[in-house]
Amino acid sequence: MFYQPKDIQKALELKAELKERGAFLAGGTDLVVLMNHGKAAPENFIDLTHILELRAIHKHNGTLELAGNVTHAQTGKLPIRCLAQASLSVGGPGIRELGTIAGNLATASPAGDGSAALLALDAEVELTSVRGSRRLLLDKFFLGYRKTALAADEMITKVIIPTNYQTDWGKNGKRGAMNISIVAAAVAITPKKEVRIALASVAATPIRCYQAEKLLAKNGLTAETIRQAVQTVRTEIKPITDHRASADYKVHVTGVMVRRLLENLVKA
Amino acid sequence: MNRPTDTLGESAARLHVTAKSSGAYETGPMKVVGKSALRLDAVGKATGATKYGQDLFDKKFLFAKVLRSAHPHAEILGIDTRAAKKLPGVVAVLTHKDVPGTNLHGLIRRDQEVLCSKKVRYRGDALAIVVAKTEEVAVAALEKIQVDYKPLPSVLTMEDALRVDAPKIHAEGNVLGEKHLRRGDAPRAMRDADVVVEDTIQTQTVDHAFLDLEAGRARYDGKMLTIEVSGQWLHEERRLIALALGQPLEKLRIIQPATGGAFGGREDISIQIYLGAAALKLKGKMICLRYSRSESTIVRHKRHPIRIHYKLGAKKDGTLVAAQITFYVDKGAYASTGIAVMRKASSHATGPYKVPNVWVDVLGVFTNNNPCGAMRGFGAAQTAIAYEGLMDRLAVKLGMDQAELRRKNLVKSGDEVTTGQVVPYATATECFDAVLQRIDWKNRSYDTPAPHLKRGYGISIVCFGLGYGDGFPDASRARCRLTPDGILEVYSGACDVGQGLINMIAQIAAEEVGVPLEKVRPILSDTALTPESGSSSATRQTYFTGSAVHIAASELKTQLRDIAASHLQELVYEIKIENGAAFNVHRPERRMTLKEIARVGKKRGFSLEAMGVYKPPTMPENTQTGQSMRAFVTYLFGSHACQLLVDTETGEVKIERYIACHDVGKAINPDQVIGQIQGGVAQGIGMALMEEVVMKDGKIMNPGFTDYILPTIRDIPEIECIVMENPDPGGPFGARGVGEPPLIGTGPAILSAIYDAIGTPIRELPATPERVWRALLAH
Amino acid sequence: MKKPVNAKSTRNGFWALRFKLNGRKISTRVPPTRTLLDFLRLELGLTGTKGACLEGECGSCYVLVDGKPMNSCLMLAPQVQDREVTTIEGLAQNKKLDVIQQKFIDCGAVQCGYCTPGLILSAKALLAENPHPTREEFLVGMEGNICRCTGYNKILRACEQAADAMGLKKK
Repeated sequence: MFYQPKDIQKALELKAELKERGAFLAGGTDLVVLMNHGKAAPENFIDLTHILELRAIHKHNGTLELAGNVTHAQTGKLPIRCLAQASLSVGGPGIRELGTIAGNLATASPAGDGSAALLALDAEVELTSVRGSRRLLLDKFFLGYRKTALAADEMITKVIIPTNYQTDWGKNGKRGAMNISIVAAAVAITPKKEVRIALASVAATPIRCYQAEKLLAKNGLTAETIRQAVQTVRTEIKPITDHRASADYKVHVTGVMVRRLLENLVKA
Repeated sequence: MNRPTDTLGESAARLHVTAKSSGAYETGPMKVVGKSALRLDAVGKATGATKYGQDLFDKKFLFAKVLRSAHPHAEILGIDTRAAKKLPGVVAVLTHKDVPGTNLHGLIRRDQEVLCSKKVRYRGDALAIVVAKTEEVAVAALEKIQVDYKPLPSVLTMEDALRVDAPKIHAEGNVLGEKHLRRGDAPRAMRDADVVVEDTIQTQTVDHAFLDLEAGRARYDGKMLTIEVSGQWLHEERRLIALALGQPLEKLRIIQPATGGAFGGREDISIQIYLGAAALKLKGKMICLRYSRSESTIVRHKRHPIRIHYKLGAKKDGTLVAAQITFYVDKGAYASTGIAVMRKASSHATGPYKVPNVWVDVLGVFTNNNPCGAMRGFGAAQTAIAYEGLMDRLAVKLGMDQAELRRKNLVKSGDEVTTGQVVPYATATECFDAVLQRIDWKNRSYDTPAPHLKRGYGISIVCFGLGYGDGFPDASRARCRLTPDGILEVYSGACDVGQGLINMIAQIAAEEVGVPLEKVRPILSDTALTPESGSSSATRQTYFTGSAVHIAASELKTQLRDIAASHLQELVYEIKIENGAAFNVHRPERRMTLKEIARVGKKRGFSLEAMGVYKPPTMPENTQTGQSMRAFVTYLFGSHACQLLVDTETGEVKIERYIACHDVGKAINPDQVIGQIQGGVAQGIGMALMEEVVMKDGKIMNPGFTDYILPTIRDIPEIECIVMENPDPGGPFGARGVGEPPLIGTGPAILSAIYDAIGTPIRELPATPERVWRALLAH
Repeated sequence: MKKPVNAKSTRNGFWALRFKLNGRKISTRVPPTRTLLDFLRLELGLTGTKGACLEGECGSCYVLVDGKPMNSCLMLAPQVQDREVTTIEGLAQNKKLDVIQQKFIDCGAVQCGYCTPGLILSAKALLAENPHPTREEFLVGMEGNICRCTGYNKILRACEQAADAMGLKKK
C-alpha cells in the first residue's frame, strides 16, 4: 500500500501500525536507488513529501529548528557555513531538491556529507512517535554501521542547531562534483571558544574527534596546537581501505583537511 | 575565469590553413562544406522527440531479461527452467537449445556463445532469456532458473593465465595471439645508444559509459525478422546475427534507432541476438529488452588494460636511435577485436617519433575478466601514454627541454613511420608549434598562489593511422538519388552515434551536387534501404563514407547535367548546378530546377540514382616484421598542451588550461570538428584522472555511476581548439578525420604535466589523488 | 495546490494520480511503485525524459516539479500528486522552441543528444531562479548532469547565450 498522509500525526499512526513493514519515503535518494537495483521492495510506503510542516525552518532561542524533510537545497542557503557547504556538495541540483536531512541521518551512511557538519554543530535530533517526542544529541544517534537509535515507530521530526558557532567544512573526492567523499571534515568554534572536529568516511559512522578536541580545549588554537591536534586525529581514526581509497591515504588527507579548516577558523 | 570562446563565427576564424597544400588538390570556395551548419537531428534531440532504443517500447510488447553467470569461470552441468516457465506472466524461457543457428558470435573469432551451453568464462556470460508480459515478471522469473555449475578456478591476472598449470579458459589455451614488429636492429642500437631510459606503464580497464543504455526491440512476422538496436556496423551485425540464428540474410532487417554515444562500445554484438532468438520463437510478437546500468557495465567489453615495458635509447644530442617495447594485453574472456587492438598498439608504438630501430612484441592473454574490445583509441591511446611518458624521462636524463627533445624527433613529410610506411604529408611539427605558441611555452611560469600547489606543463603529439588498415576490406558504399520533388536523398548504412555523421554526409552531397543543405535528406542505417558503409569506428567515416558519398554525388551530378544539357540544348560542359538549379554558366537564364530535371529525367528513363564505392587501398602487414608499405590510407596529426596545478598535500589535480590542435585536412563542419575534439579530450581527462573499472574475483565492484567516476562539468576546463587544415588528396574535399586522436593526445599531456609538476612519473592509471600522493611520497 | 488529504492507494493496488503535466491536468491511475521516470515514459509515452544510471548520478532523468529540478528515476509516481511537472516535451510552445533549446542547437551543444533534455531543464530551472548567473552559479546548476560526448564547453556556452538572450527580452 502507498500512503500519502497530510500531517505528521497521521504519518506517525501509520508507522506505529506498520513498523518495519512500512517504509518512510521522502527524497527516495537512498530507498529508490535500492529499489532500482532490485535490493529493496517495501511492502508499504509512507510518503512524507506532502506534509508541509516537515519542510519548515524555524528560528528559536538562538537556534534553528530544521524540520525533518528540509532538503539539501534549503540547508544549502543557510548562513551556517559548514552545513551550507556540505549541502551544496551533495549530488547535483536534482538530488539536493529531493534529499532530506532526516533521510540522510536515518540512512546513517558513514559518508554522510551533512552528518559531519551537524556533529560539529552539536546538533540535536528530535525523534517522535505516537508515544511522544524525545531529543538526542546527534552523537548518540549513530550507533554503528548504518544503525541508528531510531525505534521502529519513530520519525526524525526536527534537527536543532545553533546559529552562533563559527564553522567550516571541506571534502575530498575524486572529481569536482557529485562525489561520495573519500573524506569529509567539519570544524566549529562555539561562543565559549570550544573547538569541534567531526569527520565522515573514516569510520563506521560519522564521528567527533574528542581527543583532538580535548587537546585544543586545554591549549587553545595556535599553529603548534593545530599540528598536534592533527597528529591526534590521525591516530584517533581507523578508516578502512575500500575501492574509493586506501586507509593510509585517508588518514593522511584527513589530517590535511582538518589542519586547513582549523587554520581557516583562526584566520577568520 | 574566461568564457569558452568557440562560437560558430569564431570557429571559422580559428581555422589555420598552412601553406602546405599539395597543389594538385584545390578545394576552392565552398557553399556547404566548411560551414558550421546546424546539426540536422538537433531539433528532435532538443525537444525530446528523437527515439532512441528504449523509446521504442510499448506496454503491449513482451519484455525480455537475460540471466548472467554467477561465476567468473565454471562448467555448466545443467540449466533447469521449469520453475521459471511456470511463473504467471512468463511467455517463454530460452536456452542455447532455442538458438537455431550456430549460437556463436565474435567480430574476429566466433568464440562467444550467445547463450552458454558448456562453459561460462566471465560473469557477464549469458545463460538464458526470459520473455514475459512485464519486465517485473521477467526479473522475478530469472531468480527461478536453476543453473547447476561446476565452478572452475578463475584466472584473474595475466601471470596466472600464463602459468604452465593454469586452467584453460579456451580449449586452445590462454594466449589469444601475438603481434611483432621488427624494424632495424633494436637490441644492437640500444647497446650503442648514449642514453637509455626504461619503465613499465600499466593502463587501466576503462568503460565506454555511453548514456543510452543498450535497449531495443525485435519482431518476426513470418517473412522478415526486424531488429531495432543501436550498433556501430549494421551490416556486419546483420551477418553475425544471421549466422548465430541460422536466419537467411534476406529475411533479416536491422534498423538503427537514434544512438546516444558508442565510442567503440557498440562494436561487439550486444542484445541483438537475444531479441532475434526470442522473436523467432514467438512469431508475431514484438519483444523488447533493456539493460540497467549495472548490467550494461557488467556485460559490455572494455578498453584493454595493457602493461607496457618500454625501453628507449638516444644519442647524447637527443636523437632517438632505438625502441624496444613489450605489451602485455589483458584480453579478458573472449577474443573480440583484441588482435586488431594489439596490432594498432604495435604499429603506433613510437607515435609521431622517427625511430630507425624498433622492436615490438605484443602478447594477448585471456583471463576471466570482462572481455576487452574496441574503445576510442583502440590500443593507440594506451601506447601514447607510454611513448610520451618515456620521452619525458629521456628529456630529464639528457637535461633537455621536453619540447625540444620532441621537436627534434618528430616525423616529417617523406619520413617513414614505425610500420615502414612513408608519410607524404606530415604536419606533426606544425601542430606542435601551434600549441607551444598558444601556451607560450617559452615563457611558462611556475609561480603558484600557494607553496603546496605545484604547476606543471605537459605536451603530447599524435600520429594516428586512419581506418582499419593493413589490407582489411574496409569499404564504404553510398547511394544518391534525386526524388520527383527535387530532394537529394543520400543513402548510407553508416551509423550516426552522436558524432554528427548525418551532417557530414549531407554537407558533402549538397556541396558536390550543388544543392542547398535544406534540400538534402540523409537516410541512414537500415539494412533494407541503405548500402553497407562499414563501421563507425577507426576514425574512418568521414574519409571512407564521405568519399563514397562524394563519388555517388559526383556520378549523380553527371547524370543530372546530362539531362539538363540535353533538355536545354546546351553543351554539357557549360552546365553548372548551383543552389538546386542547373544553368549555363555563360547564359544563366538558360536554366532548369532540379525538380524539373527529375521530371524530365524520369520521362526519359534515367535512373536519377548513382552509387559510390570507396575501397581504401592498404596492404597487409608482414606478420614477422609488422612492416607494411601502406598500412593506412593516411595519417592524422595533432598536438596537445596542458597546464595544471597539483595540490601536493592531497594529490588533487586541477587543469588550468588545455589546448588541442588537430589537422583534419578539411573541416566539413568546423563546429562539429570542435565538438569531437572537446569530447575526445573530456574522455581523455576521464581516463587520465578518474575512470577505472575495479575488478575483484572477476566481479566489477563499481558498475554504477556512483563509483565509476565520469567527468562532470567542473572537471573539464575550457578546451581551446586549433583546427588545422592541410587537405588530404584522397579524402572528400581534402578531409581526413578527427574521432580518436583528441582522446589519444590527452592522457599523455596530462601525465606529462603531472610529471613536470612533481618530478615523479605516474606509472599506473588513473592518476587519482591517491596515486599522485603516493608518487610524491616516493620522490 | 489542492487541499491535502490523507491519501492512499486503492484496494486493487493502484494509485489515483492527479497532477498537472506540461500545463495540462492529468487524472489517471498508476501502480504506486512505478518510478516517475518509467511512468512518464511507458505509461504516458513521453520518452523525452531519459534513464541512464538509475542512481541519481547523471541528471538524464531530470524533470521540473513545481519548477525545481528532480531526478525522476528516484521518485515514485504518486509523489507528484497535486504538483506541476514539466518535462522536455513541455518546453516548446506552439511549435516554437524555448530559447534554451534554440541556443543548445545553435551552439552545437547537442551531439548524441541523450543528456540534452536533462541539461535543458537544469538550465531552465536555474535561469528561472537566477536570470544572470555567474560562471560558478552556472556550474552549480549544471553539475548534476553528465555528458559523455561534448566536453561541456558548448553546453556552457549555450546556457550563457540563453541567459543573455533572455536578459535582452526583458528590456
